Amino acid sequence: MANKKVYIIPCSGIGKVFGSIGREAAYITVNELAKNKSELECLPLVVKGKPEVIDKLKSNKVIVIDGCPLKCSYNDVLEAVGKVDAQFMSTDIVKENRDIKPEQEIIPMGKNAKKLSHKLAEKIAQKIDELLENEEGGEQ
Amino acid sequence: MSTKPKIGIIACSGENLVGGTLSRAAARIVVEKLRPDKTVILCQPLFMAGGLERHGGAEERDFANTHPTITIEGCEEECARIAVDRYSGKPAATIYVEDIINAHPELKPKSKEDLGKDGMKLAEIIAEEIAEKVDELLNQN
Repeated sequence: MANKKVYIIPCSGIGKVFGSIGREAAYITVNELAKNKSELECLPLVVKGKPEVIDKLKSNKVIVIDGCPLKCSYNDVLEAVGKVDAQFMSTDIVKENRDIKPEQEIIPMGKNAKKLSHKLAEKIAQKIDELLENEEGGEQ
Repeated sequence: MSTKPKIGIIACSGENLVGGTLSRAAARIVVEKLRPDKTVILCQPLFMAGGLERHGGAEERDFANTHPTITIEGCEEECARIAVDRYSGKPAATIYVEDIINAHPELKPKSKEDLGKDGMKLAEIIAEEIAEKVDELLNQN
C-alpha cells in the first residue's frame, strides 16, 4: 500500500468552460476514481506559499490540470514547489473527443462538459496509479 | 472613442472549501446575468502567477491597474485581495463569502462539488451584494 498521496491541483479558471472541466475532473478523481489515493489542493494557497501546503506537496506527488495554454497551475506549482509529477490539459480531452462538444455554460455545466470531465478524470486516475506504482517500485 | 467603465471581478478560486465554489458561482452570476455590461471576470490564478513575462497573461494585472476591482473571498486566507493588492494596488471592495454564509444559516450548501438548491440561492444572494457594490463604485466614478 502506497504511503504517499497524489495531490490534484486544477487551474480553477472561471472565464471559460475548460477551467470547469478541469475542476470537475479533479472532483471526480478525488471523490470517485482515486478515492483514498488522491486529494485536492488549492492553487491560490500554493501560490501564496503557505508553508504546510508547500511541504506537503514536496513530499508527495503532484498532478496539475490546466484549462488554457497559459498553464497557470503548471507554472505556479513549478515555481512554488519546484516540481510537477504530471500535467493534464482539459483542452486536450476536448480535442481527443471532437464528437463531444462542450457547452459553454459553466453554472451549471452541460452534459457534454461533464462527460468530458469524466473522460479526463479516468486518465488522471490512471496516472495516479502509475505514479504510486513507480513510487512503490522505487522504495523496494 | 469612449469606452464604458467596467469593474473587474476576481473570485477566490479556492478548491478546498464550499466558499470557493460559492465565490465562483456568484462571480459568474454577476458577469452573466446581473451586470453583464459593467463587469468582467479576472482570472485569479493568472493574477497570482509568477513569471508572467515568460508565459503571458499580464493583461489581468494591467486591467486591475486601470479599473476598480472587487475581490470575492471564499475563506479567511484572502488570496484574491492579497494578489490584487500585491500586483495592481488596493482593490476597490472585498466581499467575504463566509460573512454571507453566516448571515443565512437557513441555507445549507450541499457540498463544494455540488452547491445544490440552497447553495445556489446563497450564490445569488452573494451575487446581489456584489452587483450592489458594482453600482456603488460606478456611481462614485
